[in-house]
Amino acid sequence: MVFKPTPASVTPEVNLGDAFVTTRVDAVVNWGRRNSLWPFPFGTACCAIEFMGMVSSMFDVSRFGAELVRFSPRQADLLIIAGTVTYKQAPVLRRIYEQMLAPRWVISAGACATSGGFYDCYCTVPGIDEIIPVDVYVAGCPPRPEAFLEAIWQIQQKISGEAIREQKAIGA
Amino acid sequence: MKARTPAGDIADLMTMNLGPSHPATHGTLRIFTALDGERIVATACEMGYLHRGFEKMIEQGTYQQVLPYTDRLNYCSAMMNNIAFCKAAEGMFGVELPERCITVRIILTELSRIIDHLVCICTNLVDIGALTNFWYFFNRREDVYKIWEKLCGARLTNTVTRIGGMYRDVYPDFASDVRAVLPGIEEAVREVRGLIEHNKIFVDRTKDICIVTAEDAISWGWTGPCLRASGVDRDLRKDDPYYGYETYKFDTVIGTTGDTFDRIMTRIYEIGESVGIVHQALDRLKPGPINSTDARLMMPSRQQVYHDMEALINNFKLIYEGVRPPAGEYYDAFEAANGELGFWIVSDGGTNPYRIKVRPPCLTQYAAFGAMVEDELVADAAASLGSINIIAGELDR
Amino acid sequence: MSGAHHGDHSHGHAAPARPAIQPGLSKERLREILESRLAAKTDSRDLRGTTVIVARERLRDAVLLLRDESDLRFDQLLDISGVDYLAFPGHRGPRFAAVYLFKSTVFTHRITLKVEVDEDDASVPSIHDLFLFANWAERETWDQYGIVFVGHPNLKRLLNHHEFIGHPLRKDYPCQKRQKLSVNDPMIDQLEARLKQRGYTVLEHGVFEPGTPMTYHDKAGAAR
Repeated sequence: MVFKPTPASVTPEVNLGDAFVTTRVDAVVNWGRRNSLWPFPFGTACCAIEFMGMVSSMFDVSRFGAELVRFSPRQADLLIIAGTVTYKQAPVLRRIYEQMLAPRWVISAGACATSGGFYDCYCTVPGIDEIIPVDVYVAGCPPRPEAFLEAIWQIQQKISGEAIREQKAIGA
Repeated sequence: MKARTPAGDIADLMTMNLGPSHPATHGTLRIFTALDGERIVATACEMGYLHRGFEKMIEQGTYQQVLPYTDRLNYCSAMMNNIAFCKAAEGMFGVELPERCITVRIILTELSRIIDHLVCICTNLVDIGALTNFWYFFNRREDVYKIWEKLCGARLTNTVTRIGGMYRDVYPDFASDVRAVLPGIEEAVREVRGLIEHNKIFVDRTKDICIVTAEDAISWGWTGPCLRASGVDRDLRKDDPYYGYETYKFDTVIGTTGDTFDRIMTRIYEIGESVGIVHQALDRLKPGPINSTDARLMMPSRQQVYHDMEALINNFKLIYEGVRPPAGEYYDAFEAANGELGFWIVSDGGTNPYRIKVRPPCLTQYAAFGAMVEDELVADAAASLGSINIIAGELDR
Repeated sequence: MSGAHHGDHSHGHAAPARPAIQPGLSKERLREILESRLAAKTDSRDLRGTTVIVARERLRDAVLLLRDESDLRFDQLLDISGVDYLAFPGHRGPRFAAVYLFKSTVFTHRITLKVEVDEDDASVPSIHDLFLFANWAERETWDQYGIVFVGHPNLKRLLNHHEFIGHPLRKDYPCQKRQKLSVNDPMIDQLEARLKQRGYTVLEHGVFEPGTPMTYHDKAGAAR
């Protein structure tokens, strides 16, 4: 599924002059946000190794502007959960998500983060969307680095379609 | 909190968590520390943040279905876990593997050991601040991933062995691909050694930090490179050889002090030794059958299945029930990248394992970590955590 | 064969060179020693023939014998495992067993001790003072099976979270019965116990905020 950016002509506005300024500001802000994502790698298990593979020079996430990994939620805007989340880890994940400032996006990377993977047992959370809202899910066990990059690209597409007015209304 | 130190003065201690969301993706550990300034005075370590129920899940499926779970134990060297488990299960049957299978398994084991050490060293160096090595070593890991992909389709979690042999024979250019990768690995190791071995910053950060004496390491149950870094010359490949390791020529790398520097350098030198073993194994690789022909483990050939009633029934039972080891208990050990990886298997003669206990090599290392970092600085704790190579998948199962 | 010393950085205290590993005793001889000295009996279930069953009252003596006797020298406790024989076909006898895997760095021999305990009195003496690793290994066995290790200083959960009720590896614990965690274990008490052990006296406790309890959004069909 590809997120198509909202065409500027569809954005409802009261008078033309205001709309012109708002959509131009949107375009610039979204351009800045999507090309300088600072990921927080919440890497718990094997998927984190493929995340590291994505950061390495072979797959090079810095082409997308997202190589500056930040291990503080205050400084990051893209939370990538790569690996299994257990119930012991769940409050930690929630706290990290809550500490992140808007705008923030979440990638659930791998089968375990998306659905619990094949660990259908007493200790694993069956998908992190029980805990936090997710923007993009990546299938794979572990997903290839190219799949991680596709996820980042889809986040970028999603960001392109955002409008500041909507965000202020939602409080996102 | 305010506390009176053993020396008698009053200290204002700060409590701080290292983890469970930990930089440098070392996995999910929590070290709860009490700090006097920068110095750690007490620790309470916690684990289990990645406890995924391996030992419960494998009881739900067959023996062959255990293999994907074993991949995700030490996910940096997944093939070693596959091979270790298959070795234990084959030991229960008492089956002899063909020569080619053993040689291929040794090549895969040593290559997995190499890439595990590569990732351990480079992430440890990232913690210390030496970022360049991460890219140098990860590119070599990618080279080996290409071989893994051609071999079995997966880069990281391979599930490449089966009880009684391998998933499939190696592809025709396997030997030349592996030979092509090894010089790159040696070159990367040379580059990294050039950057760190005589680098004053690195030496000051790691020399005489978190020393673990030989007696302590033994009592903590340490095995593998961490034990050898403390000066204890024990390696399962030499002490209790399997798969013909006694016929391979390689050195055991031993440290002198048991500090962080020794642990890192032991792994770097072990990469060189493993490269030597792979060369020797490649020279011995001869054509032949890759799987055992034991009817309890491997399906008969299609021709036999179509023409022989016994073979048909055998095929049917292996597909529907899987392998059934004899009832009993069996422990087998394997020299994995972190140390002795053991599987204690209890079989009730049925299709599903009754109990499998994984003896994780890094659990002993992490159990000692709390005591190891007390009286060291916080920065030293970060530098030393990488040196004991905790892989949470294996630690927590 | 030892080798590859990365020599020129070593300071004064180099580890003394160890002798090469010795062959050790045969498994028949080991079983004989344990049977005669500790009234142990060989476990016929072990396919290797290196497991002996000892009574729990004799466990500490057995472990000391194995560790300190000059021709045994089992100086490494590899692991402690629990077993629940509840669903084992044809099993008669105590429900649980605690299995101790030993190894030696002096000899190549290995031995496994097994202590069988009943369900209603599942307790075994702790050996945490004999092997440093036994502390955590016993915690894990208690966590997963509920076998109590008498004398253990800190028998807390190791793998499962602190709000978990039950012992998940027991055969009567359903595999998919999930238990959610609301707040992480603060562990202040364990830290203060450790400070006390190291000679510190806590005069003023810090302020601790436990954090808001977690709520989970159950997906349709996920809860079992």
